[in-house]
Amino acid sequence: MSVITDILQLLLTANLWQVALVSAVLLLLPALGGVISERSGVVNIAMEGMMLTGAFFAVWADLIWHSPWIAVLVAMVAGGLMALIHAVVSIRFRADQIVSGIAINIFAAGLTVFLVRAIYGLQDVGHVVPAEALPNWDVPVLSAIPFIGQVVFQQNVVVYIALILLVVVEIVLFRTRLGLRIRAVGEHPQAADTAGLNVYLIRYGAVITSGLLSGLAGAFLAIGVSNTFVPNMTDGRGYIALAAMIFGKWTPRGAFVACIIFGLGEAIYANNSTIHVSQYLLSMLPYLITLVVLAGLVGRSTPPAADGIPYAAGSE
Amino acid sequence: MPFASVLFAFVVGAVVVTVTGGNPIDAYQGLLCGGLGVACTQGENPALQIANTIIFAIPLITAGVAVALPFRAGLFNIGAEGQLLAGAMACTALGIKLHDWPAVILLPTVLVGGMLAGAAWAGIAGVLKATVGAHEVVTTIMLNYVAQWLLRFLIIGGPLELRAGTSKSLPIGEGARLATFLPNSDTIQILGLPASVYRVHVGLVIAVVAVAVFAILLWRTSLGYEIRAAGQSQKAARYAGVSVRRTIIVTMLIAGAFSGLAGAIQIAGVDHNLTDKYFSDTTGFDAIAVALLGLGSAVGIVLAAILFGALHAGGSVMQADAGISSSLVLVLQALILFSIAANFLNAIRLRIPGLGQAPSAPAPAAVGAALMTEAAVAPPQEGTTST
Amino acid sequence: MSTTTATDIAVAMRGITKAFPGVVANDHVDLEVRAGEIHALVGENGAGKSTLMNILYGLIHPDSGEILINGAPVKIGGPRDAIATGIGMVHQHFMLIPVFTVGENIMLGREPVVAGGIYDTAKARRDIQEMTRKYGLALDPDARTGDLPVGLQQRVEIVKVLYRGAGILILDEPTGVLTPQETNELFVVLRDLVKAGKTIIFISHKLREVLEISDRITVMRRGKVVGHLITKDTNQAEIATAMVGRAVLLRVEKKPAKPGAVSFRVENLTALSDRGVQALKGVSFELRQGEILGIAGVEGNGQSELVEVLAGTRKVSGGKVWLGDKDVTTYNARDEREAGIAHIPEDRRGAGLVLNYSIAENLILGRQRANSFAWHHILLLLDAIRKWAQRLVKEFDIRTPSIDVPARALSGGNQQKIIVAREMASQPRVLLASQPTRGVDIGAIEFIHRRIVAERDGGAAVLLVSAELDEVRSLSDRIAVMYEGRIVSIEPADASEDRLGLLMLGGTAQKT
Repeated sequence: MSVITDILQLLLTANLWQVALVSAVLLLLPALGGVISERSGVVNIAMEGMMLTGAFFAVWADLIWHSPWIAVLVAMVAGGLMALIHAVVSIRFRADQIVSGIAINIFAAGLTVFLVRAIYGLQDVGHVVPAEALPNWDVPVLSAIPFIGQVVFQQNVVVYIALILLVVVEIVLFRTRLGLRIRAVGEHPQAADTAGLNVYLIRYGAVITSGLLSGLAGAFLAIGVSNTFVPNMTDGRGYIALAAMIFGKWTPRGAFVACIIFGLGEAIYANNSTIHVSQYLLSMLPYLITLVVLAGLVGRSTPPAADGIPYAAGSE
Repeated sequence: MPFASVLFAFVVGAVVVTVTGGNPIDAYQGLLCGGLGVACTQGENPALQIANTIIFAIPLITAGVAVALPFRAGLFNIGAEGQLLAGAMACTALGIKLHDWPAVILLPTVLVGGMLAGAAWAGIAGVLKATVGAHEVVTTIMLNYVAQWLLRFLIIGGPLELRAGTSKSLPIGEGARLATFLPNSDTIQILGLPASVYRVHVGLVIAVVAVAVFAILLWRTSLGYEIRAAGQSQKAARYAGVSVRRTIIVTMLIAGAFSGLAGAIQIAGVDHNLTDKYFSDTTGFDAIAVALLGLGSAVGIVLAAILFGALHAGGSVMQADAGISSSLVLVLQALILFSIAANFLNAIRLRIPGLGQAPSAPAPAAVGAALMTEAAVAPPQEGTTST
Repeated sequence: MSTTTATDIAVAMRGITKAFPGVVANDHVDLEVRAGEIHALVGENGAGKSTLMNILYGLIHPDSGEILINGAPVKIGGPRDAIATGIGMVHQHFMLIPVFTVGENIMLGREPVVAGGIYDTAKARRDIQEMTRKYGLALDPDARTGDLPVGLQQRVEIVKVLYRGAGILILDEPTGVLTPQETNELFVVLRDLVKAGKTIIFISHKLREVLEISDRITVMRRGKVVGHLITKDTNQAEIATAMVGRAVLLRVEKKPAKPGAVSFRVENLTALSDRGVQALKGVSFELRQGEILGIAGVEGNGQSELVEVLAGTRKVSGGKVWLGDKDVTTYNARDEREAGIAHIPEDRRGAGLVLNYSIAENLILGRQRANSFAWHHILLLLDAIRKWAQRLVKEFDIRTPSIDVPARALSGGNQQKIIVAREMASQPRVLLASQPTRGVDIGAIEFIHRRIVAERDGGAAVLLVSAELDEVRSLSDRIAVMYEGRIVSIEPADASEDRLGLLMLGGTAQKT
């Protein structure tokens, strides 16, 4: 049987789509954060590090307080604090935002492993018991719908939260006063400043929000999907989220579509027992798709005009 | 400024160690011993530690050049890691397939093969940037992952695998290996250890030549002039008759060749086969810090590479002697990056009363920002080709 | 015209001082603006006008000095404070977001919202229509701002300021991008605003306009106020002398041209703009040795694209270009330069110079592979480059401590001299000079004008593009007027300003 027909058959199973949605949400949350941050004019390639930090602190907090919700809160705060570093360095000190983002990612990778050793010694971090993990919840009635019910309404609570956040971010960015201001700051900070907006405040807010969302994604990964912390467990998801954001032309819904595609890719190779190709070659797929799409489609999309450019009040 | 950044990182690092219940003095003593062979407490051999530092520094120098050169053209090559792996894979594959060739032909073949593979890897990002404006930061990140998975494919059940379950490739032929400076002998004793443990190899010479080529290319040639011009202002470059597209592609090809060379040297000089150690290799990322800390200059790159080499070599000694996770080195590295990028110390100094106020005019641009210019942000618009 | 009998002082700035690293931009500056007047603030580029106004608008914080608005001392910490105090500013570079609608741009910062912070598009539209009625400034609130012509964008800026309830309007070089006719329309608007009780500060370096529109004038030079003048009692020469600090020759001295053979011919040239629209729709002209052909036109009518195409930095989509009998249509920038076409680009800091390059490096920009500077086009000949640079610095009077300092460190005038030196030193057959004196001091303007005329007299064919109609008229031997990508007419050097203005607006090309 050929690979193509294997994959096509897989695509007809609700199981695959259910798993794909989980994978997609792990990308969607940081991607939404990226959209918000970059719409305000701050390039953010640090979602990877913020997410990893969130993952570690979610497990740490859950093992102490035995509550997934406290853990989520702690993870978001941890992601937010990493974002705050990125914000201070790139907004206050006007550093190169890509360098700062790379530094955040290295920092997170080092810090989490350092803390594992400092706190847990040579042993494992330990597993979160299922009762203290983020729960699955079947939506009454809706979860009974054939196919769709299993895919969308028999999911982890974080999946529902993420889908709600998707709608909220889309509305806030494009329908509200706040969104208008965020976009104004990202397009033309001088204009926003002379119109009386506080450019720095808006950018700080946007970057920290991206950290909160990435921290949430980290918590979902660590205490919703894996139930433990493993060094570097985010495994490039923050970077894939970045690519999804660019595919999606810096819009939440566009990013969501891209996340679904990547999520499907991940779900397909997770199911690779039925596909007869090296799982390592399959693992390349999302990255190759990204390259192909970048080559074909997205070259024409334009980021916010002031994305990546530090703002100095009073300079012309 | 770079010295202050390093100092800043060590001070903050000490705080991190203290807060988590460690002893920063022990930690840094371990680093110092492992990196520079001084202040050792557990009887480590200083000469061996210094040799290890040099071995770590060799690929960092070569890959550092691969990041610094695109910086000058306004390009951010985050893909040195992927290019390095491409070079290592090509070197290994050639070294295995052609293992019975004589060294005079095989050695240049594997090194040039590594350079070409690295150049091709980087060239993809260069072409995508020059033609459709795809941001090189994103494309090189993707290419890093592709290289990582390709590596796993090759040595786990793939064509280069030594034996099933080993996660190792076959060794490259004898003729594909770089000589070490000291005889590879277990009987000759040097400074209390067999000569074979000091593995400093000819790659050191290659790295020094690479950094010299970089400096001459950049400052003494017309191409270097054009690369720098394109990095400073694409408009000015076009005005000067420079094809920005061509310059972007050429720059990435050269940079990729340097990264690929770094990977090939690592295989030919140190490891002689691909192993799972490369799954978590970070040389290409460390090279970003090296290029930034070295301020993009040849001498700076060499000094920064030695520092990072020492940190690497020191990390394991610190972990063994002081019980502090070697990942503290990553934390230090990130702190150095923050500090250089943000130019904290400059900004803080201007705020100290009596030394003048912080200017409301734009502060001196951070290093990264100064090196990276519009080319890194905007896709090129080409209008150079005709009247 | 407003009366100046009212003695209320709307704006008083006292002892304003602001130093930037290496330069004192404002040195104990005093400014008094009466309520209901149009007060002109004039001075050369770099005199400190913009700094002073940015201080008033809160964008820059002064080192010392105080500001009184309507007699009360105020502390302006940022634009928010300025807006709250009733100050509005129309910036030289519009503070508009191209991808936003007109409505969104006007409302930004004071957006109408309904429950939950949702932006209220309908109310925004109503408010703008209300403003339109009140001040007679027609605008479509739903248009995409970036698609509007410059004149309308300026109107958006003015409405934006009025919407914030400004009583004091600062206009920074508002006429720089306008045609004479658009300028007249703006002046009508300004007079109406004064009638409606507004106070206006008008920054300009165009003395005729200042004399036409203002009631009183404050002159700045090198960060200091050097004169307070009453418009009806002064004249251009007096203002110019105050601005520059010495008597200024307002005319260019030149002998009549002695045009020779046709050396440069452009036939039916077409090209696209950066945005992919047709910027040149069939341009044809001939250029003779020893003459200056000036191109007049409102900026954005294809002049920039024309020069870029001729210099080889923009692709041609149709037509032919001949240098003598050589077809140079498809030459790139390097080929053009080697064929003898020199180019002073309009974007001095962006295209003409690499600001972080040393003066020596800048003096070979475009010739970095020429035989005289590069061995086999590969290795730079550093000694030859240094000798060349030292020669040009002397010959063109470039004021610099050494040839190794970055071009960034030099004044605008000296930066422009680097370009002029580089382009003229190669004894070009054709010189393309685009906005050659924009933003440079009067001393450098005189120098550059003399050199351009000298090139002409030396036998070069010169194409001069300038947004300053006065410059075109005083330097050119013939004047071509561009409108919407075409040359609509070629006029003699003594064509009247009214006629040129009409042509620039696309008016009838029939003889009047």
